[in-house]
Amino acid sequence: MGTALADPNRFLERTTSRRTILTGTAALAAAGAATVAGIAAESRGSSGRPGNGPKLSDLVAGSASKVDPNAVIADPTWRAAHLLRRAGFGGTAAEIDEFAGLSREDAADRLLNYDAVDNSALDARIAAANFNLNYSTKGGTALDMQRWWLTRMAYTARPLQERMTLIWHGLLTSQLSKVGAQFARLMVAQNELYRSNALAQYDALIQAVSKDPAMLYYLDNIDSTKAHPNENYARELMELFTLGVGNYSEQDIRESARAFTGWRITPRPNTGDLEKDLASWNPQFVLAAAQHDSGVKTFLGHTGNLDGTDIVDIIMQQPAAGRFITTRLFKEFANYDPAPATIDRLVGVWDSSGHSIKAIVRAILVSDEFYSLQSYRGFVRSPVELIVGAVRGLQIETDFAPVASQEFRTMNQALFEPPNVAGWPGGDSWLSSSTLFARANFLDVFLFPRGRPAALPALASAASADTLVDTTLKTIVDANVPDATRQALIDYASTIADPALRAAAVAYLVLAGPEFQLI
Amino acid sequence: MISRRDFVKGGVALVSIGTTANSLLKGTLAFAAQHPADQITPNNGKILILVQMAGGNDGLNTVIPAGDPIYHSVRKAIGVADNDVLPLAQGFGLHPGLTGLKGLWDGGKLAVIRGVGYPDQNYSHFKSMAIWQAGDPDLKLQDGWLGRTLDKLETQSHDPFLGFNIGGSTPPEMQIATVAVPSVQSPADYGFKVNGRNAPASDPRIGTLMKLYEQYPAQSPYGVLLETTLESATSSASQLVAAAGSYKPAATYPKTSFGAGLSVLAEAIVGNLGMRVGHITLGGFDTHSKEVADHAKLMETLDQGLTAFYQDLAAQGRANDVLVLTWSEFGRRVQENANGGTDHGSASVMFALGSGVQTGFYGDQPSLSKLIDNGNLSFTTDFRQVYATVIERWLGTPSAPLLGKQWDQLGFIPAA
Repeated sequence: MGTALADPNRFLERTTSRRTILTGTAALAAAGAATVAGIAAESRGSSGRPGNGPKLSDLVAGSASKVDPNAVIADPTWRAAHLLRRAGFGGTAAEIDEFAGLSREDAADRLLNYDAVDNSALDARIAAANFNLNYSTKGGTALDMQRWWLTRMAYTARPLQERMTLIWHGLLTSQLSKVGAQFARLMVAQNELYRSNALAQYDALIQAVSKDPAMLYYLDNIDSTKAHPNENYARELMELFTLGVGNYSEQDIRESARAFTGWRITPRPNTGDLEKDLASWNPQFVLAAAQHDSGVKTFLGHTGNLDGTDIVDIIMQQPAAGRFITTRLFKEFANYDPAPATIDRLVGVWDSSGHSIKAIVRAILVSDEFYSLQSYRGFVRSPVELIVGAVRGLQIETDFAPVASQEFRTMNQALFEPPNVAGWPGGDSWLSSSTLFARANFLDVFLFPRGRPAALPALASAASADTLVDTTLKTIVDANVPDATRQALIDYASTIADPALRAAAVAYLVLAGPEFQLI
Repeated sequence: MISRRDFVKGGVALVSIGTTANSLLKGTLAFAAQHPADQITPNNGKILILVQMAGGNDGLNTVIPAGDPIYHSVRKAIGVADNDVLPLAQGFGLHPGLTGLKGLWDGGKLAVIRGVGYPDQNYSHFKSMAIWQAGDPDLKLQDGWLGRTLDKLETQSHDPFLGFNIGGSTPPEMQIATVAVPSVQSPADYGFKVNGRNAPASDPRIGTLMKLYEQYPAQSPYGVLLETTLESATSSASQLVAAAGSYKPAATYPKTSFGAGLSVLAEAIVGNLGMRVGHITLGGFDTHSKEVADHAKLMETLDQGLTAFYQDLAAQGRANDVLVLTWSEFGRRVQENANGGTDHGSASVMFALGSGVQTGFYGDQPSLSKLIDNGNLSFTTDFRQVYATVIERWLGTPSAPLLGKQWDQLGFIPAA
């Protein structure tokens, strides 16, 4: 079967977000006319800037606030928390305070230069957890793979490396169910490929993923023959991984599919013990010459006996490639609406750095756009960001066993199982009536296992209801909520005498509340 | 009931109350202020269920041109043998897995629309889906085609189920800023839980959570989306519980998630929840390899689900009110590939199913000998003709404002 296009909720090239449409229009209505500087109602297709993320403190119902979406977040603590959320999965209160004292450049470099950061505590934790990442006839591997990666995200000392791995998994995606449950090991190997190349040169990453065993299976290249090339990989390589629709022809797809024929991997051992054979298999790329089309091909203006490696090289010379990946990374880290000048600047970095992902990510993480009010709370938080952000912020000890729950599944982000070859559509699509219930109910499962409150070390020392609420709000949502929200939390917390129950209840409310659904 | 429209089109005074009883009144006032009575589309009680066959369904192996020798020459490995085809008419027949649909054709309840596509077919899943979902190959029309339709169909009662999706997130064709569409993936989990149990309306933790959403300013990032999604969730959940209590399926649904989803749609119909447009997706049609086995399974899943759904509604006396329409972003390449599959193609078939359908073929079959784009079918019927027919003749609202122009309509729904 082809890629399981199960839930393709996606408007390609119509990425203006719901945030824009609704906040823009509502704010306009609130002001009665287009007097709200910078929050002018955005219509799709116009060249205007979209609605922004004004500070709540600026917004008084009925007033025409003047918020410039391009203005930089004023509060250094919010800036630090924003960086830690976007470049990682959120910080502890201590980490936020520490980053608040750094320059933009130092803060970015601290995250980017992770090779020097000791991660042995994570390694020890992973070893002790003993997750089963190999196929087992007893099942459970897919769940353990998710728990393994969530553990890495939650407890790593190199959060940007895990963030990049998640970005690559969402972009250069594969699905365990299509690759095959028996080949779980190949999906883990692909994940390790993304981790070890997280900030590599993009050409190298794409060359590697083109030969990655899980990808060869996922997009059918493993079966592609000289007589009948399979176009699946060639198409998605250009459409989704490197150039975008409109930058190649159907003829280019057919020609490049010929270049990728005969790409195979070494066979798995066959001792008769399937589980053992699969566990010991470390497949390597091989070219099956008899199945490879070595004839002359013409691809994007280049003619010759091109193979798949040549195809990737030619793709990477296209101006569209630099625009594609810089735009994608900007939309992963900053906001959905980069100005043309911003992309021009990032393409300059792409060119001057020899296609270095690290250089591009650095340029984004130190930019005004990244720290703008438009970017602040500008994304809907994904389920993975929800659970990992909660664990990191509140310093919760967990083995992520609750991801086996129906409540977690209904949030709709199973790692290693994105909905289709385009990855998770993200944005507004994370939020529906179904997923809103699922988010709250997962937090109920997570914070009240079997009806008992989970231990929340970050909140343990908060003696009074006021202190508890303020600590939680500061750690989780920058203490940036309406006064009435703080008061409602204090009122409710004051009705609960047991400190552990009270802490879990406040954590539930802040984590399930509106501010934390954004990132 | 306050609606998303009230948040978007009303002033700030109308958005600050949220889910309290007060909002009911304010929502109604706001709706009346924006909708002179003569601009409200009268509710004709007709319901559309849209079924997305995601991934690109092989139309040639769904409604098979068995009488055409070219079919067998290009589909040597994956072609359906003449003897296995379920005959319809004119040398065409259904995939052997579609036994239920064959019965519905014989009973005059099924129409087949052939050669459906659009000019300059795009062969990308995502671009082509976006085109169908927007109802516009140029992607210039705003929002989804059903979102625009729902905006026209909304009435003063603000039924939370006016549009209803089975799945985890609002499908792009139903998206519009003014109408919130509830999505249900797992009915048992559709509602707040406290300590693992269904929370009563009076639960103080949930009550506080509701307050946090009400107090989140509508002008703040995603403010309207967050509050209206919560409002849609809570109001739809209580109605769904009520409907579940009185609904007994009158047919046996297959034990597939597609079948389960259809039974929830039937529950909403039988429970009179005000639904005008329902949506459900069946995925997995991107059959680049192993098509014979995978496509047969998909055909069976589709057939068993839709047949049970029709039987259920017929037994509940509601078959006259419901039209089921299937679509896919494209068909498959005419010539099979080396992996027992087919690559991305162009024109494909749509089914229209229901007691209000005029059975038969609509749209000409594309020629297998005059291919375009290096081996693909040349479409004969624009998908917007199908949309226009459904919007106008079934849902009862003018189609030109929603589709940008007046399209010729098809006869699968008789003109009024």
